[in-house]
This record gives sequence, structure tokens and C-alpha cells, in this order.
Amino acid sequence: MSDTPHTPTAVAPEPPRRAREAHAHLPPVVRLEGICKSFGKVRANHDITLDIRPGCIKALLGENGAGKSTLMSILAGKLRQDSGSILVDGAPTLFASPRDALRAGIGMVYQHFMLVDSMTVAENVLLGQSPDMVLRPARMRDEVAALAERYGLVVDPAARVGGLSMGERQRVEILKLLYRDSRVLILDEPTAVLTPRETDQLFEAMWRMADQGKALVFISHKLQEVLTVADEIAILRRGEVVDQFSEADVPNQTVLANRMVGRDVVLQVDAKRLTPVDTVLSVEHLFGPGLDDVSLTVRRGEIVAIAGVAGNGQKELVEAICGLTRPASGEVRILGRPWREFFAGPPGRRGLAYIPEDRQGLATCRQLDLVDNFLLTTRNLFAKGMFLDRTEATNAVKRVVWEYNVQPGDIAASARALSGGNLQKLVIGREFFRKPEVIVAENPTQGLDISATEEVWGRLLEARSSAGVLLVTGDLNEALELADRIAVMYRGRFMDVFDKDDTAKVEAIGLMMAGVRPGEPETEA
Amino acid sequence: MDMDTALLLSILAATVQSGTPILYATLGEMFTERSGVLNLGVEGMMIVGAFTAFLATHLTGNPWAGVLAAGLCGGGLSLLHGIVCLIFQGNQVVSGLALTILGLGLADFLGTPYVGITTTGFQAFAVPVLADIPVLGTIFFRHDALVYLSYLLPPLFWLFMARTRPGLALRAAGEHPAAASAAGLSPVRIRWCGIFTGGFLAGIGGAYLSLAYTHLWTNNMTSGRGWIAVALVIFAFWRPGRAVFGAYLFGGVMALQLRLQAMGANLPSSLMLMLPYALTVLVLLASSARGGGRAAPAALGVNIEPEE
Repeated sequence: MSDTPHTPTAVAPEPPRRAREAHAHLPPVVRLEGICKSFGKVRANHDITLDIRPGCIKALLGENGAGKSTLMSILAGKLRQDSGSILVDGAPTLFASPRDALRAGIGMVYQHFMLVDSMTVAENVLLGQSPDMVLRPARMRDEVAALAERYGLVVDPAARVGGLSMGERQRVEILKLLYRDSRVLILDEPTAVLTPRETDQLFEAMWRMADQGKALVFISHKLQEVLTVADEIAILRRGEVVDQFSEADVPNQTVLANRMVGRDVVLQVDAKRLTPVDTVLSVEHLFGPGLDDVSLTVRRGEIVAIAGVAGNGQKELVEAICGLTRPASGEVRILGRPWREFFAGPPGRRGLAYIPEDRQGLATCRQLDLVDNFLLTTRNLFAKGMFLDRTEATNAVKRVVWEYNVQPGDIAASARALSGGNLQKLVIGREFFRKPEVIVAENPTQGLDISATEEVWGRLLEARSSAGVLLVTGDLNEALELADRIAVMYRGRFMDVFDKDDTAKVEAIGLMMAGVRPGEPETEA
Repeated sequence: MDMDTALLLSILAATVQSGTPILYATLGEMFTERSGVLNLGVEGMMIVGAFTAFLATHLTGNPWAGVLAAGLCGGGLSLLHGIVCLIFQGNQVVSGLALTILGLGLADFLGTPYVGITTTGFQAFAVPVLADIPVLGTIFFRHDALVYLSYLLPPLFWLFMARTRPGLALRAAGEHPAAASAAGLSPVRIRWCGIFTGGFLAGIGGAYLSLAYTHLWTNNMTSGRGWIAVALVIFAFWRPGRAVFGAYLFGGVMALQLRLQAMGANLPSSLMLMLPYALTVLVLLASSARGGGRAAPAALGVNIEPEE
């Protein structure tokens, strides 16, 4: 990792785990047994069994959508499992709400903090907790300061939360749980919002909490962080625990990476190659926030997949290509025209279609009916002067709904009535209706069931004949099934761009996703 | 003491008197809003308070019974707002407006037979010792019991919010109900309390008009004071201390306007009657220019969606 600008874990000190053995003999605080949970047809968790022990940091490692957050939401009382049981101190326990879980000593630090900005740190920590009727600010501050000191969570108890950094806010959330003597602390992707320095501080605090007998669960998809901080590692893939390692047998990151992304073939499509023709999208030396010298071309007749763990610059790249953010430096040419010129013209007839990951937020308006949602990006095709020809649009929507098999097909219904898969079909139908020549699809099958996935895949392959497709995906299987070429993205740059038939490189995708170039000596984390 | 000084002192004393009902209503609305609920029904709750205070006093002969009745009826009316907003997640603005219209209509309907009847009420009395302080004694300590009671409210309000556990919970419900809920509190229950307390105080503000400011009932006797209170909450940046200043500012303009009319100033009376309301507009302009909106409770006017 010597080529990357900052590696948060590289500077972390050795774990000062003085009291590791002190808790080793204790039984698990919590045992999850055979937990299953499905959302509709999508299986989020399947038969998961997991022990959470005092004084131990357990990492849940897995890609986006592997089921980590679902599992922990069940443990924290936010979701109810379909089957399986939660044993607290050996006794089966049912959580009706997060409050029940909190009472049982299980607390979760969510990615979105639950803090009152206008109140002080001490007030936030003691909210709903203070035993006295009358508050004594000085004593509250002392209490919180003492707690912060004990666990090494440095934060000024008198400061207003609104003025704190993300790292400090996270410490307040952890202090809230510690103040109620929580025994199990679940940290959901805690480092996502932190600077490298704050990440180190968090890890130190985690070790300190574990030393004092707390059980910690660390949810992450970042290999190095997991290897740095965890005592035990459980790897989740497609809702199942595929591996568990204890401290003694934690493997190197190559093995971890392969286990995490491991290729499960659940669906295969017949992707006949076409002969690529003209270049429709080219990116040259693109720099910017989260992007570090990215170059790429997409030709008509091919699908180029960007594989990688989410958060490595994919979003920034897509936003620059689709005109949501101005590229800081470097050149983006779409259909032969420079970025600025391309996006200066009126939208609608542009020939670039964007299928965002956020179907409900970015691609559609929940409250509008299907016709209005259809018109969001196609309105120019139905414009007659300043008026819209709704009759014609309605007919077009009817055709799309039938052709793409959108269920329920009631076009007067609001978009919220559609499931994720059907909404996605509508979005794709809408975008393809414009006959685009460049298509950017961002995790187009995330959260979809098998049949919807198959349909979306088929449409993307079909679209190749007249367009170039850039497919951003966290699902390796999807990349390998659909793509003609694959680019692996890591920390804002491409590790490599290669043809799908280059088996040696395809084998090494897992490693590249973790930032290791094949053939390079592997760095020990 | 010369004539001018005496006149000035009497206007200032009248300022306190006209400011008091506005102060009650402002603090009440401020309390409700700090819990995260916007209740635009202040005018309606005030007038219902004014009428029930008059009626209860008329029937029992005891003005304190009138004050209690006014508080309970103002609070009771506000619970309608709670039903709409807390149970059915209705629009707070619409519900509050409806409450004002309902209150005004109700008081008109029930009160018409009593128009013009006088009743006993609160009488002014000088507070021993304090009333003898020069200047201040005359302005502040030669009033009735409800005025003296209103002096206690702002500090109590502040103490409650800043220094008590329920006050902290109420603020959390107004700023970030989900955080309050995550901390094991019930923000909906807290908002019920916020709504009722606000209605109770608005009712007492109305009672002041029919039991102390005058000793009779007339239709529409609040004449927009409830709306002024709503504006003052914004002007005061949701702080009780500034509410006192705002309430007396308006009281001053009202008192001055009456005095000028009585002295036969050469100005059209409609113009002078307009003064307090023109001031309301100016005050809102000034406070929004100063970024007062940012001081609002973060979840003000946002309903709490029931948890899944």
C-alpha cells in the first residue's frame, strides 16, 4: 500500500491489550442462533450462528448487501428475525424494539447519529438517563468527562454537539451507550465518516473498551481495518456466514479477500460478444475529491464494468460523468463532445442515460404516478411548445410497462406502490426509451431478486448493440457475467483495466479490490 | 412630580398591563413550540379562555375559579390540536388555523348573551415595600395578582428548560424526536404535555383580558393578541427573556395608542389602532433579517411518524 496517499491503519500502534486473557474464559454475552431474515424474495440473512463474547472485538466482514447491517439491526432490536433466536446470557430473548435491546445491554452506534445538535455533549449523554429531577450541569460534565477519560474517548462535555466533528459525535454516541452500562456495542461502519487520525483514535478506544470487558461488534468491508482491530472475524456473503476466524488463525488478507468476494454463480447469462465500434465515452486523467488519475474509454458495443468495494471513488466518477459534479481536472468526453459543451445543451435529447443506485431518491419521485415519473427524463420527447402531450406519454408508458413487465402495471399509481425490482424496470425502460448511446448503470440489480436481476441483465446486454455501457457494481458476479472489460477501482484509482478473458487477472480481482497488485509482495496489515 | 413625568409613568404602568396577556400567551406558545409543535390556535384558545374566565367568575364570584377554568378550557381546546397532529399526523398549520376559527366562533356563539355584563375580577393592590420604590414601584408593583404571577413565569420557564430533566426531554422532543426516542423517552407523550401547557397559558392570557384588563365580556376582545404572541415567539428567538421585552414593547404601543386617542391627538384613530399590527410586521422582518429562524427548534412543525 506504499503507493496510496494515506493508510489509516498503518500508523495505528500495536494493540495495547493488557487484559485480553482476563475475559477469555467467560461465556458469550450474546449468542445468535440460526437467524434467518428475508425481505420479500430477497434473503438477507440465512441460518446465521454467531457468538459475541466479552472482552472481544468481533468483526463482521462482508461486501455491501452481504447482510451485515440486517443481522446487527436484528440484534439491536430494530428488525425482527423470521426464525432463529437471540440468547442473552444463555437465555432466549425477544426484542420488540431497540429499547428492549438497550435494556438488555445491547446498543448500536448507527451510521446516522441520533444526537441533538443544539444540546451539549453532557446533555446528550444524560438525555433520558439522569436520575435527578433537577440537572446540575457541573456534575453532569464531570460525570461524562470521567467516563470519557476511562475509555479514552476525548470530547469536551460542555461543547455543543452541533459544533463537533463527525469523529467527536461518534464518541458521544459511544458514551451514551457506555453511560447506560451497555455490554455489547455494535459499530456499524464506524470509520466511514472518520479521518485517518480519528480512525486510529477509535481503534484505541475500542481496544480499551474490550480490555474493560465490553463485547464489541465491528461492521466493516475494509480488510485492513478488520485485520488491525478485530480479535475474531466472521465473513458474511449473500446473507450467510461463510467463515469464522479466531485470533489464532486469522489468515492474511489475500485469503480474507477471496473469501469475502468469492464468486458464487447463481445466475448465468449468455453474453455473446459484439464488435466494439466508436468510442462514446472517454475519461482522461480525471482528478478530484475521491478520484486519483482515472482514465477510461467505453465503446459502442461493449460493457465496461467497474468492480470494487463501495466507497473507493465509484460514486465520484459516476457523478462527474453524468454531469452531477464538475470534474476538477482532467477531461471527460461524451459522444465526442467535451463535458462542458455536452452538459450545456438541453437535457432529454442528450443520449446519455443514467441509472442511479438510489432508485427511490435520485431516479424517481415516490409520490408521482408512473407517467409523471416517466416524463422526468423524457419530457423533451413529448413537448409541444410549452405543453406536454400527456396522451402520447401515457401511451408510451403503457408500452414500456408492458414490454418491461412492470408489476403492478397501473400507470396511474404512484411510484411508491412499486417494489424495488419493478421500479428499476420502469427506470430502465424510461432511460432506454430515449435510445441512449451512453449508459451509466450503478449497481442496477442491488436488492433485486433473481428473476428481476436476470431481466435487468438481459436489457443491459441488449442495449449494447446501440450503446456503450459503463456498469458500476459491487457484485463481482455481475461484473464477470456482463462485462467485456473490467476495471478494478481502489482508493480513487484503477488498479487495472483488463479483458474478461484474461483469466490470470480475473483470478486476482479479489486481491485488487483490497489494493494489492498481483505479483507485488503483499503487505502485512 | 410634574405633569409630564406623571403621564410617562402612567403610560409605562399601562404598558405592563397591556403586555401581560400577551406575555402569558407568548410564553405558552413558546413552550409548545419548544416541544416541536407549532400551534397557530393561540388566538382561539385565548378568546375561549377570556370567555370561560368571565363565565366562571360570574357564576362563582371568585376570579381564581375563572383563571383555573380559563386555563383548563384553553388547554382542553389545545388537545384537539394534539389529536390532529400527534395521533393523526395532520398538518400543524392547518390544524392551528382551524383551532383559531373554532375558538373565535365558539366564544362568539356562547358569549353573545353575556356581552356587556360586568363582573368582579382582579383589583390592583400595591405590593408592600416594593410599591414605594421610586419610579419602578409605580410601574411594576401597583397592579393585580395576575401581573405579579406573570413576573415569575419567565425565570421559571428558563429554569425548567435549562435545569430540569423534563425540560431537557421537552427540548429533545422539539429538536430531534428520534434521538429522544432512542434515549428511551416518548416524544409523543412529551408533546402532549407541551401542547396542553401552551393552551393553559394562552387561556390565562385570555382570562387577564376579561378579569383584570376589563371586568366584562365583549365579543372578539382578544383582537389579534394571539397572533401577536405567535409572532413574538419568533421575535424572541424562543427565549423567555426576550419574550418579556417583546410583550412589553407591544404593550407599550397599545398603551400609547390609547393614551394618544384619549388626549385627542390629531391622527385618524384607525391609523393608531393599526400601530401594534404594523409593529408585528416590522418585528418579524427584523428578526428574520437577523436569522431568527435558525434559533427555532429543529423539529418544529414536523410530525413524529409512528415507529414501525
